[in-house]
This record gives sequence, C-alpha cells and structure tokens, in this order.
Amino acid sequence: MTLLLIIFFLAAVLIINLPPKAFFKKIAFWLALFLLLLQLVFVFLPRSLWTGLNTLCSSNNFSMVQDSLSMVMLLSIAIVGLVALLVAKAHIKSENKLFNFVCLLLLCCIGMNGMVVVTDLFTLYLFLEIVAAAVYIMIVFEKNQNAYEGAFKYFILSAIATTLMLAGVGLTLSTVGALSFTALQIYFANTAQISAGATIGVLLFMAGLFIKSGLVPFHGWLPDAYQAAPNPVSILLAGIVTKSSGVYALVRLGMLGVLVPESLKTLLLAFGAATILIGALAALWQKDFKRMLAYSSISQVGYIVLSLGAGTLLGYAGAIFHMFNHAILKSLLFVNSAAVESRTGTRDMDAMGGFAAKMPWTGATSVIGALSISGIPPFSGFWSKLVIVIALWKAGLHYYAAFAILASLLTLSYMLYMQRKVFFGKLIEGYDDLREAGFLYILPSVILALITIGLGIGFPFIVGTMLMPVAIFNW
Amino acid sequence: MMEYLLILPIFIPLIAGLLAVVEINHKNYIREAISLLAVAANLIVTYALFDKKYAFSIPWAGFGMDISLRIYHFSAFILLASAAVAALIALYSIMFMNGREKNNYFYLYFMLTLSFTNGAVLAENLILMLFFWEGLLAVLLGFIAIGGKGSFKTALKAFVIIGVSDLCLMFGIALTYSLCGTLNMSEVTLPMTFMGGVAFISLMLGAISKAGSMPFHSWIPDAANDAPLPFMALIPAALEKFLGIYFLSRICLDMYKIEHGSPLSITVMTIGAITILAAVMMALIQKDYKKLLSYHAISQVGYMVLGIGTAVPVGIVGGIFHMLNHVLYKSCLFLTGGSVERQAGTTDLSKLGGLGKKMPVTFGCFLVAALSISGVPPFNGFFSKELVYDGALESGTVFYIAAVCGSFLTAASFLKLGHAAFLGKEQPVFSKLKEAPLLMLIPMLTLAGLCILFGVYNPLPLHTLIQPILGARLEGHDFAGLPTNLFLVIATVAVLALAVINHIWGYRRTGSAIKAVDHIHYAPLLHGLYDRAERKFFDPYDVGLKLVNILALSAWRIDRAIDYFYTKIVVGFTQAASGSIKACHTGSHATYIVWTVVGLSCMIYYVAFR
Repeated sequence: MTLLLIIFFLAAVLIINLPPKAFFKKIAFWLALFLLLLQLVFVFLPRSLWTGLNTLCSSNNFSMVQDSLSMVMLLSIAIVGLVALLVAKAHIKSENKLFNFVCLLLLCCIGMNGMVVVTDLFTLYLFLEIVAAAVYIMIVFEKNQNAYEGAFKYFILSAIATTLMLAGVGLTLSTVGALSFTALQIYFANTAQISAGATIGVLLFMAGLFIKSGLVPFHGWLPDAYQAAPNPVSILLAGIVTKSSGVYALVRLGMLGVLVPESLKTLLLAFGAATILIGALAALWQKDFKRMLAYSSISQVGYIVLSLGAGTLLGYAGAIFHMFNHAILKSLLFVNSAAVESRTGTRDMDAMGGFAAKMPWTGATSVIGALSISGIPPFSGFWSKLVIVIALWKAGLHYYAAFAILASLLTLSYMLYMQRKVFFGKLIEGYDDLREAGFLYILPSVILALITIGLGIGFPFIVGTMLMPVAIFNW
Repeated sequence: MMEYLLILPIFIPLIAGLLAVVEINHKNYIREAISLLAVAANLIVTYALFDKKYAFSIPWAGFGMDISLRIYHFSAFILLASAAVAALIALYSIMFMNGREKNNYFYLYFMLTLSFTNGAVLAENLILMLFFWEGLLAVLLGFIAIGGKGSFKTALKAFVIIGVSDLCLMFGIALTYSLCGTLNMSEVTLPMTFMGGVAFISLMLGAISKAGSMPFHSWIPDAANDAPLPFMALIPAALEKFLGIYFLSRICLDMYKIEHGSPLSITVMTIGAITILAAVMMALIQKDYKKLLSYHAISQVGYMVLGIGTAVPVGIVGGIFHMLNHVLYKSCLFLTGGSVERQAGTTDLSKLGGLGKKMPVTFGCFLVAALSISGVPPFNGFFSKELVYDGALESGTVFYIAAVCGSFLTAASFLKLGHAAFLGKEQPVFSKLKEAPLLMLIPMLTLAGLCILFGVYNPLPLHTLIQPILGARLEGHDFAGLPTNLFLVIATVAVLALAVINHIWGYRRTGSAIKAVDHIHYAPLLHGLYDRAERKFFDPYDVGLKLVNILALSAWRIDRAIDYFYTKIVVGFTQAASGSIKACHTGSHATYIVWTVVGLSCMIYYVAFR
C-alpha cells in the first residue's frame, strides 16, 4: 500500500511528460492536487485496510514500514505539499513554469515518501538523493544570481553530506554485516558488542544528516537556500524537505536504538542546544522576512534534536510532535510571508508596518503561528515544547530542560519583533490601497492555523491516542 | 421540604436589593416600600423559624465544600435579632436618606448586607460562610463609598483592614480543613495541639475583627465621619457585632474547647481588655457626636471578647448578653446622632448645646441608651456588664480592673457627650429647631424601650435567647435576676459615682462640658500618648501604609535595577551576540565548508578520544 504512494507519483510524473503535452500541461496541477489529497486520505484509512492492501503490493525484497512515525511523516508531506502547490498556483504565473514545478514537486514527493517508508539505510540514502536532485533545480527555479548562489551552497554541502553518509553506510555495513533496520536494531540492542567501527559509521551518517537538517555549525547553506528559493519552494524546503531528509532519519535511528552510545546522545544534546541558541540569536533583528524565518527554522530543528538527545520514549514523542508542529507552523509563516510579498513585492521588514489593518487574515494567522511556535498556550506549539521540556527533565537533563524553556523566550522575541515590524502598529505610508492576499494564500494559512488551534485545544484527547503510541516502536 | 425555607432569609433581601437599585425614580417611594416589605418579610420568616431546627446540604464543589445551611437556637436568635434591628433601621432610613444622592445604592447595599449576614449566620459549611463573609466585605466597600466626598478613601481603608483579617480567617479555615478533614462547623473539633491553637487564633482574629475589635478597628471612626449614618447604626453597631461575636462564640464553644486559664484564653482576654481601655480612652477626647460613639462601638466589643474569652459560663453568657444589649443601645445612640445631624445640621459638639429642650424625645432615648452603656442599674447594660465582671474577676484581677476602668471612662465620656449636646446653654442658631419626624422616633423609642425591658426583666432574653446556647456547659447555673455578687455591684456603683464627681469637678474647673475631661486628656504621660494617637501613630493601617511605602520604595529601586539589567545589559549582550553571529555569516561557501569540517572534527574527536 505504501508502495502505491511511490508508484502513483512516479506514474504521474511519467504520464504528464508524455504527448499530448498541451493536454497534460493543463491537468498537471489538478493531478498533483488529486494525488496529494489521495495521500492525505490514505493516511487516515483504517489500519486493517492498510495491512490488507499491503499483502497485495509488497514484495519480499522491498519491504515497507507503516508505523506511526511514517504515518506522521506521510501526513506532513501531504499537507505541506498541498500548501506549496496552492501557493505555487498563485505565485507562478506562466503555465510552462507551473508545469515544471509540478513535475519537480511530484519527484520530490516520490523521494520523501520513499524515505519515510523504506526499511534499510542504503535505500533511504537513495531516496534522499532523489529529493536533493529535485530540490537543487527547484531552488534555481528563477534563474537569477541569488538563486544560483543558494543552490550552489546547498549542492556543495549536500555533496559533503552524501560523501559522509556513504562512508558511514560502508563502515556500518562492514562491521554490522547488514543495513536493514531490523539488523541494526538487533546489533545495537546488545550494547556490549558495539564495535568502534559501527559507532564511527553511525557517527558519519549522523554528521551527513546534521548537514541535511541544517544543524549549527553545518547550517551554512540553509539561510541562503531558503531565502533564494521561490516562495512555494521555501515552504516546501522549510516545512518538510529538511525535516524528512535529515531529521526523520535521525528520529528513525534514535527509535531503532542505534543512537544508544552515551557519546552520541551527548552530541545530539550539545548540537541541539547550540543550534537553538545560535539560530535564535541570528534570527533576532533580521531585516529579511524569509531569512528570519530560515534562522527560526534552524532554531526549531535544534529543539527536535535536543528532544532526541533525551533518548526516552517521551523524548521521541516530543521530537515527532514538534516536527509535525514545525511543518505546520513554518509553512504557515512562509505562506504569510509569501502573501505579503505577493502584495507588496518586498521582503524587507524595515519597509513594512501595520499590514494587519489591510490584510486581516494574513495578520491574524501570522499571530497564531508566531504564538504557537513560541510555545504560548493553548496552541499546539506549547504542548510540543512542554513535552520536550518534560522529557528532558525526566531524563535527568535538568540544565537542558531549563535551557529549552529560556530559549523559547528568544523564539518569542524574534517572532514578536517580526509581528511588530510587519503587522502591528500604524500602517506605513504608501500602502493605503494594500489589499488582502489572494484566496490561494488565505485558504492554506487559515487551514494551517486551524490545525494548530485544534491540536492545541484537543491535545488532552490526542496525547493518549495519537502522540504517545507514535513513540512506541512496534514493527 | 420545610428545611428549604432556610434560603428565604438569604433571597428575600437579595431580590429586594436588586429591585431597589434598578428603581431610579426619586419622586415616588417604591424603593423604600420594597425595602420595608423585604425587612418585614424577613422579620416574619425569621420569627417563624425561631424555634425550628432545620438543616440541609447540597453537594457543590467537592473537597468538603457543600451548600449546607443549618438553623438552631443560636443562629435563629442571631437571625431574629438582626432582622429586628434591620427593620427598625430601614424604617429610620426612609426619612433620613430621603432625597439623598445614590439613594438606590444605599438600599441595594442595605439589603445585600442583610442577605449576606443571614447567609453567613445560616451557613453550616465554613467555605459557604466565607463566601458570604467576603460578600459582606465587598458590600462594605460600596456602602462606605456612597457617603460622599472623601469617603472612598475610608472605604478603601476599611476594605484593606477587613481584607487582611479575612485572610486570617481564610487561613484558619484552610488549616481547620487540613486538621479535621471536614468543613462542617458542627463536626469540626480542633485538636488541642499547637497547630490547633494556630487555627483557633486565625479564626478568632477573623471573628473579632468582624466585630470591630482591636487591632482591626481603625476604619470605624473614619467611617463615622464619611459613611451615611444608618450604615453606622446597621453595620458596625449591629450586624457586624452579631456576626463577629456569633462566630467567636461558635469557635470557642463548638469548634475548640477553650479552657479556663489556658494561654489562649488569656490571649483572647488580653485583646478584649486592651480594646476596652484603648478605644474608650480615645472616645473620651472626641469632639464629634458620631465619632465618639464609633470609638465606643470598638470599646464595647472588648467586653464581649473579654467575657467569651474567660471560658467560664458566667463570662460567656455575659459576653453574648452584652452583644445583644450593645446592639440595642448603640444602634439607638447612633440613631439619636442621626436625628441631631438631620435637625441641627452638625454633629460637632462644640457647636451643639441645649438640644434637650427642643428635641425631648431624642434626648430621652439618648438618656436611656447612655445610661445603659454606662452600666447604670437597672438598665440592660448593667446586668451584662456585671456578668462579664464576674467572669473577669474569676480569671484575674487585672482584667477586672481594666473592665472597671473602661466603665469609668465610658460613663465619663457619656456625661460629657450628653452635657455638651443636650444640656447647657442653648445656641441661638437652634432657636427654631424641631423634634425629628415620627418615622425616625419610632425606631429610637423601640430600641430604648427594649433597653429598659431587657434590664428590668432580664430573664426574658437570658432564658429564651442566650442560656439555651450554652446548654450543658451552663452547669445548671441561672444568671437571670439580680446580680448575686454584692461586692461587684457596690464597686460598680462606686465607680459610676466617681465618674459623676469627676465630671462635675472637671466642669467646674474649666466651665465647659466639652473640656470636662481635659484633666485626663492633658495629664502628664497621657498627653503624649494622646498626641501620637491623634496623629494616627497607633493606627495599624497607617503604620502599615508607611511600612508598605518603604517597602514599595525599595522594591521600586530593585525594580529599576532589574529593569536596567534587562533593558540594557541583557539586550546589549544579545545584540552583541546576534551581531557577531550575523557577521560570521559572510555568505562565502568556503567558510561554511570550514565550519562543517570543524564541526565534524569535533564530533569525531569527542566520540573517538573522549
């Protein structure tokens, strides 16, 4: 069944490039929309149906996982993909370009869907490369100087990352003897026999993932790439691409028990904390809306990694929940920045002010997103940060817990700085005829805002039914 | 089903008050009619409930907090007495308050006070009682605040003082719950341990401060100046005494078996004795009719607290009897003060004089009430004071002496007041002065009549109202009739005679009734104390305010320092950090690769060579 999600997308990419091209160009957008909605529906299908269909389409040598973690990732991919698609429809005027974008988006989805369902390290690496290839092209979509620069940095650092990951995979294979998740789990379950080679192998793989997820000091590419990419691509990048290609694999390795050596946990904690702090400090007083959000993205990934470092079930639950929240909230804020840019043509926050008066929907959803990501109740961001803090505290990491609480003050401060600059206060001169952004911007932001409110208010109901089972690894 | 009648005393005044406040037409008397109907209905209901024993309980918030009401002879007595006093004062207010501003709020607060008092008396659950108790606090604020210019400050003062004492009460209730595991008053038995003592003291402070005892007293004299006069007659003189002494007796009789001669008993008696003396000393030198009375309202509480604090039957009966008597004569005295204020336009004693001829009925009522409060036989005050003396003498001579000194000074100050206001030379401005209207005279006459009745025929209140409260604790005594201890009677009469001689001597010496007690006022040693007291040196509220000011100033200084830390140091540091981090992001991919390599090296180094 999960295989279908890859096959459908692959088939779609192939079909729309067949003749008659004129016809397929017209329906490409709707096809992608349909497929992503289909994925959304798939995620919510009952489990029994999944297993039934699974026997039909899985083969022995290409097995798939469909545990809760994969489900959460598939759901995030579907949501963020849909949002990016809608914004692209509004943002990209030319039909040709939109067609190209849809092709790349589908390709990207193949990679991401593949990554989150495969069951061995090497296949995961393969899908990761598919995502990366699609994303390089998407970043240079507008073919200007900045875009080339951003893509180039991403390309160079990704090359280093893939080298490290390949090396790590090789080392692991030579010491463990297999790369399937099951084999890794069995090998690392017996802590006494873990050899130095395996540890270094995992370490190298982890370093590659650090680059992919943009942890400090491996984050150099990230702000430039996010800033240079066109708005829909930024949404995709920040919302899901870095998460599924970097953070997901870290979470998966953590839940497999591969990150058991204390030294690896300490590394996760240390790099997580450094990422939170430096990302947040760099986000403060940024002038460019998207760049600020990019640094904020770095900082939030730090929270996820910090939570992984706790190494407990609660820690994994917090990491997954925060990853989902971040996908929702960062897409929301990027949609807002795209909405503002679509009307004003600028991203310079110094040249903005009081836009909430003219763009009430954008302003309101932006406030919700900012408060939620800063961890203000009753929004969902509060609960995920709370879970992270509790997980750290229960794991005995009291200083890290205190640090996580204090650092969320920094989140709040740069988010409020953004709100004050862009949306609050008096409308600055020259924007008297500013209008609300188009329907294709408003719809996704309202839906995303509703999701974060709903998750926040409904948290007591989802905590026992959805959140905690996510972290209990059963396969 | 009959037990649900208990909600009537709470809801009748409540609804009447809400109706009265929305009726804003000044001309017709609908508002007055509503309130009169309400107090009359309240009186009838409480009379009907008088010898009943009902109780009911509805689960409410959990944790022992239920809506439970209970009536038995003690609460029924308090209910009936407060209903009667409230009815008389409502009648009085019709003429007194007529045409005043915020008249509708007056009736609202009046009715709410009555409703909440009834609720607090009926409440069986301590939390429910606390609810009504705090409701009274809120109403008190509004009631004083409608008085006029400057009254809001006084209202706030009263609010803060009573609020602090209510905190004590709240703490006491919380402690009681943790010690006894129940909040039902009749089930509570505080242990005779240290913590039980702490709970007792906290509850006791809440109760006596409601009654107006020291050290939570200082708002009452201010309120006498600022609040509408019926407020004084209704609340500090009557309802709060009922409520405070009722709760104090409940604590001492039911909840904590206070023992004669125990340290807690001595503590309560000391508070009573100090209250008697200090407040009456202040009353002595007042030059305003209402203010003088208000200090007596504090001083007389001392007798009740002293009596109940003795923990012997004679003292407790005396204390509760004194409460009833005090309400009668002090309300009556305040009402005469109101008549003087309304007819003469002032209550300043130096401007009054010779009113007795012009207002004979008021003067008569004043005379009866003044004789009662001074403890002259055969008026009611005499009998209750004798009982308190008896109990005090049993507990320690020093308390008895304090009580007798208080009696002497009370008599002296009322000689001064009566002489200055009603006798002496008639002031020319009052030549056309008339007696107060009939509606105001009826309440005064009723109260004065009760003062005489309860004195001359004291078995009536003692047998029907007070002695049943003690039940078995009475140990077969009967305190009705004439006092048995002849020595006490002789001493009392001697002290009263001394007070008269003192007044005459002082009057001869200075030639003025107001200055008749100047030899006490300006006595060496006392002079300095009085001076300081006049400058509010001993007012806990003002002392507290000064302390708070000092605290606030230092807190402000600390706050500035913290503020500086956050706005300058933290922000500066963050800006510097943020700036240098931004400066590091040069955009050169070579730099970023170097960072990556450095990071990777750190990871490998840490894992491999740790």
